[in-house]
Amino acid sequence: MLMKQIVKYMLPALLAIVMLSACKKDYVYQVDDVEVNTNAAAKTNVKSTTEFVSIAYSDIFGSTIPQNYLQQLTLAYLSFGDNKLIEDVIIKNMLNAPGVQLPTQPQMQADIDGFITNSYKKFYNRLPSEYELWQMHQLIQADPQITPELIYYAFLTSDEYRYY
Amino acid sequence: MKRRNFIRATGLAAAGAIAAPYILPTGRLFAASGTRKANHVVFCMFAGGVRNFESVQKAEGNLMINTLSGSESISGDIASAIPNLPLVGGPKLQTMGTMFKEFRYAQGPTGHFNGHSTAITGRYSDVELNLKSNPEYPTVFELYRKHSSPQQSALNAWWVSNALGPFPSLNYSKFPGYGVMYGANYIKPTTLFASGVTNVASNPKQFSQGELDKAKQYRNLLNNNFGNQGAFGDAGVTNTEGDNYAIQTFIKDTYNSALSGQLTDPWGVGAQNMTGDMYNILIAEKILQRFAPELLVVNMQGVDIGHSNFTEYCANMRSADYALAHLWQTIQSTPGMANDTILIVAPEHGRNLQANSIIDQFGRYALDHTSDQTSREIFCLVMGPPSVVNQNQVITQQLGESIDIVPTIADILGFLPDISGSATLPGSVLQSAFV
Repeated sequence: MLMKQIVKYMLPALLAIVMLSACKKDYVYQVDDVEVNTNAAAKTNVKSTTEFVSIAYSDIFGSTIPQNYLQQLTLAYLSFGDNKLIEDVIIKNMLNAPGVQLPTQPQMQADIDGFITNSYKKFYNRLPSEYELWQMHQLIQADPQITPELIYYAFLTSDEYRYY
Repeated sequence: MKRRNFIRATGLAAAGAIAAPYILPTGRLFAASGTRKANHVVFCMFAGGVRNFESVQKAEGNLMINTLSGSESISGDIASAIPNLPLVGGPKLQTMGTMFKEFRYAQGPTGHFNGHSTAITGRYSDVELNLKSNPEYPTVFELYRKHSSPQQSALNAWWVSNALGPFPSLNYSKFPGYGVMYGANYIKPTTLFASGVTNVASNPKQFSQGELDKAKQYRNLLNNNFGNQGAFGDAGVTNTEGDNYAIQTFIKDTYNSALSGQLTDPWGVGAQNMTGDMYNILIAEKILQRFAPELLVVNMQGVDIGHSNFTEYCANMRSADYALAHLWQTIQSTPGMANDTILIVAPEHGRNLQANSIIDQFGRYALDHTSDQTSREIFCLVMGPPSVVNQNQVITQQLGESIDIVPTIADILGFLPDISGSATLPGSVLQSAFV
């Protein structure tokens, strides 16, 4: 309600100010940078095999997947009927390969919220909600043995990661 | 109510409750009502388009020396091109069962996918068959998993294929009430365990059970916060957590075997003689040995080289014969499957009477399969324990069709009476094969 009133009354006023002030040379107005995120609820499209494999590779290694690697992974993917199972095999192989980009455990523990936020941005292309942040923070804080690798593995094999 | 009447009424109510049909989650009453003939069925689609001339009629000699009785020598002009594989040993396969020599793929185009689809669904297809989607009617895997009691997991139903393209979609249909939840585990060994794929899938991170439990805790948290919970649209068949672990272990073990060279010449016939068909059967055998599934369908298609090379077609038939005999030997040496397995063997279709214009180095003309009468003439061999399957029986008159294989499997595994309504199968049980 309040939002509607703001839009109704404030927006025209703001536009008027902007238009008037456009004549003046001594003021510069700009809009703050806004980070555009995908809403989890808006993710309804399933990644194709190629998309899934390519994105997972980029997220894990921080580089574009080589063409022959993509072909081989796609073949593996197509060769077994339980896609979740073969995805799990592929992800575990990637996590075991040289060149995996992972934060260290001390880095994660030193800034748990930062780690969670970065993980959501990296894997889900969105920020965590306050509730999600709180939930995961509680889990990490309660278990000093948890590793970034296991949390990455959970993200990579979660349902939301299969969607965009 | 008088005491006597009360006792009678409550007694009748209790008896009625006990006798009342129990509605299973599948929506049907009671358990599978048929008696099982055996607890395991292996169905092998033999080779990929085989004419009766070259197989059971032995026009080029006995190319299937492990399967067919007789020792007719191979035609002299092509004999040198036929692989010199040793006999697997033991009696000829046909003596351990019933051979239908004039089986028919009676309707529909004689295409590989049509033939496979018919053999797996028990229904003929037409030219409208959609290669890009799952079959219209339930597959034998779905019928088995849905109508067996207790319901069977995907670990008990396997589709081991030598081809990608449309073939993976044969593990379940889009028929209402069936579908992916009753599908089979599809695997294509010759790509999954190929050298290139080995490089990217053979060395998974080995998490401890405790670590997996922790990851699961986080995954559950993430999934619970996601709106589109559950399997995604093309997730395919889903195994239970325990079965998933067992299958991943199997895959890992098979990669280890491949990397250590154990799969280079696993049967001791010479690595140069190991064909794709043989590797497909080899992995099917490993699945049988590891999981002893109740239903496994495996195919071979090496003879399809017959489109361009008749002599290689004959050579690959010889290799397929060896693989088939090896499969039977493995079944008989696998605990839980020996003497409790029925093996059904049939090509998906035949090949044309008239050759095409392609000549091989031995001067032989190649053969297509374009739905002429000869391409509909195939054989079917049903093997099993003597107490179940008629031994050393050859049926020479025309009897049996491709669409009879699924009802025969359903009858063997005891769920045929439970298939009803629009899923009812049009074919008949191959009763002549059974004691």
